[in-house]
Amino acid sequence: MVLLFKLKIISQSIKSISAFKLRSFFCIFSITLGIASITTIVAATEGAYEKAFEIVERFGPDSLLIFGGGEEARATGQRQRTLTLDDIEAIKNSFYSAYLVVPMTAMRDLTITYKNIKYQTLVVGSTDEYSKVWSWPLIEGYDFTIDDVKGLRNVGIIGQFLAKVLFRDEDPIGKYVLIKNIPVQIVGVLSERGTTPSGERLDDRIIIPITTLMRKLQNETKYVSAIRIRFHDQQNLYNYVEELKKFLRKRHSIPPGEPDDFTIISPKEIVKFLVALTGSLVIFLGITGIISLVTAGFVLANLFLLSVKERTKEIGIRRASGAKKSDIMIQFLGESVLLTTFGGLTGFILSLISSRFLSLIAQFPIHFSWKAFVSGLILSWSVGIIFGLQPANRAANLKPIEAIRE
Amino acid sequence: MPICILQDIRKTFSIGDIKFEILKGINLTIEKGEFLAIMGASGSGKTTLMNILGCLDTPTSGKYILSGKEVSSLSDDELSTIRNEHIGFIFQNFYLLPYATVFENVLLPTLYMEKRKDKVEKRALELLNLVGLEHRKKFKPNQLSGGEQQRVAIARALINDPELLLADEPTGQLDSKTADEIMSLLRSMNEKGKTLVLITHDQNIASYAKRILRIKDGVIV
Repeated sequence: MVLLFKLKIISQSIKSISAFKLRSFFCIFSITLGIASITTIVAATEGAYEKAFEIVERFGPDSLLIFGGGEEARATGQRQRTLTLDDIEAIKNSFYSAYLVVPMTAMRDLTITYKNIKYQTLVVGSTDEYSKVWSWPLIEGYDFTIDDVKGLRNVGIIGQFLAKVLFRDEDPIGKYVLIKNIPVQIVGVLSERGTTPSGERLDDRIIIPITTLMRKLQNETKYVSAIRIRFHDQQNLYNYVEELKKFLRKRHSIPPGEPDDFTIISPKEIVKFLVALTGSLVIFLGITGIISLVTAGFVLANLFLLSVKERTKEIGIRRASGAKKSDIMIQFLGESVLLTTFGGLTGFILSLISSRFLSLIAQFPIHFSWKAFVSGLILSWSVGIIFGLQPANRAANLKPIEAIRE
Repeated sequence: MPICILQDIRKTFSIGDIKFEILKGINLTIEKGEFLAIMGASGSGKTTLMNILGCLDTPTSGKYILSGKEVSSLSDDELSTIRNEHIGFIFQNFYLLPYATVFENVLLPTLYMEKRKDKVEKRALELLNLVGLEHRKKFKPNQLSGGEQQRVAIARALINDPELLLADEPTGQLDSKTADEIMSLLRSMNEKGKTLVLITHDQNIASYAKRILRIKDGVIV
């Protein structure tokens, strides 16, 4: 009953919102902008976390990847060859927890031919354990074998995208393609993996024995580009990073003080990279959002103070008709909270729309959930209450005789 | 039976260090069903007296008993409830809400009490019928003439069926013909049993009342 009674007063708030349209419009508009940027931040942060989790899952939470060349060299785009096949044997023999140690060498933009179709693709040399170490199952055929690797045989497994380009509707298994001028028989097809955040098609590749690639395509006997390792005990992964560093520095005889000639990528590195990517945008939007929300709050407070002044007589007549101070308070606070709620909702919609554009131009991971919605709503209520309180209080404390005086 | 008893009511305003005594000991008894006019020039204290009678203001000292209840020292909330239930106001400038319809304006006092919606709406229609404006119920105040607006205000004053009607210069904004109509309407309310207190400086308007009091420099003369 009491609630119903207060609803009658809230209904007065709704009436005056529609009566003072221009004021309502400005209030809603300013809140909308603030809430839109805050909601986008929450959604972007959530999106980044989700993406990071997904990437770590895909990378393998128990995995490390070692590249030849130090971080500086990698940053400038140079690929130094420092990792050797001997390193791999040594790691296998020294790290018992490492249940998979798989070397890889990649060659980009090699021409691959099937019948009259020519296409440039990524050729990866690896071992029979490639699909296992990347948790990348085959959907057709089989991995090549350890004997294929030892025997430098011309066999390969192929990514989905490349298979479609070369074979269209034909079954690739057993067919021969030419890599440069070397015939390679397809023995397996990898399942679909999609695209990386940077837009690289993962399914556009072919994997052949690393020995075949080194000898027949690179004329190389020693160096590989990368090593991927998976450990049994995931919780010790970061200890292994340190141990591997020491181990490889010693093997490569790097004197103290000199930088590493290799780079170890762990799931942590990936998260760090992603946080750096989203972080700057989150900070930018955060500051903009807070500034525009506070500005919106002051706009609201000002317009409401003006409104209270303008509506002194209304307040007077309500008081004379029996409205208590609290009734006036509820009405005006109701007006401001309803307006900011409305602004919050439109802000959320604006954020939904603008993030569409954002993810179109920047491949930016954005994820909207109830969290973004609820935090936007709570913020708009807070602004409504905090900045509406003073004007509402002023309205409530107008003395009836002063309010109705001519 | 008296509806209002005022005993030695005093009201002092202070501006800085200077104190003005606007009401200097008013003693007044208003009987139920009375039609009383309080006359006085501006600055005589008649508006302050009306504010106290209407529980919009409290006296600095003295006793005010309304419907058998001492109200001179009640809290703001309690006074609000008394205004809501016992008093109907009619002002010189009508004071209708510009953005609400005639019907909503009549219903205004019922927002601040617990009564069933269908009952109060039925009563609002009856009152609009009584003041001859049922056909205007969806109009906004600015679509009405001054006389019509004052009729709406009278209907609003009556919606909670108060014992006491207070009219402060109710015809001040109206031409003499309309003023007569409004005064006749108010007189008919009094004839139906409402206690009516009229505040005016106009002798012609005051002559509608059955009893006339004059106030000068804060005392009844």
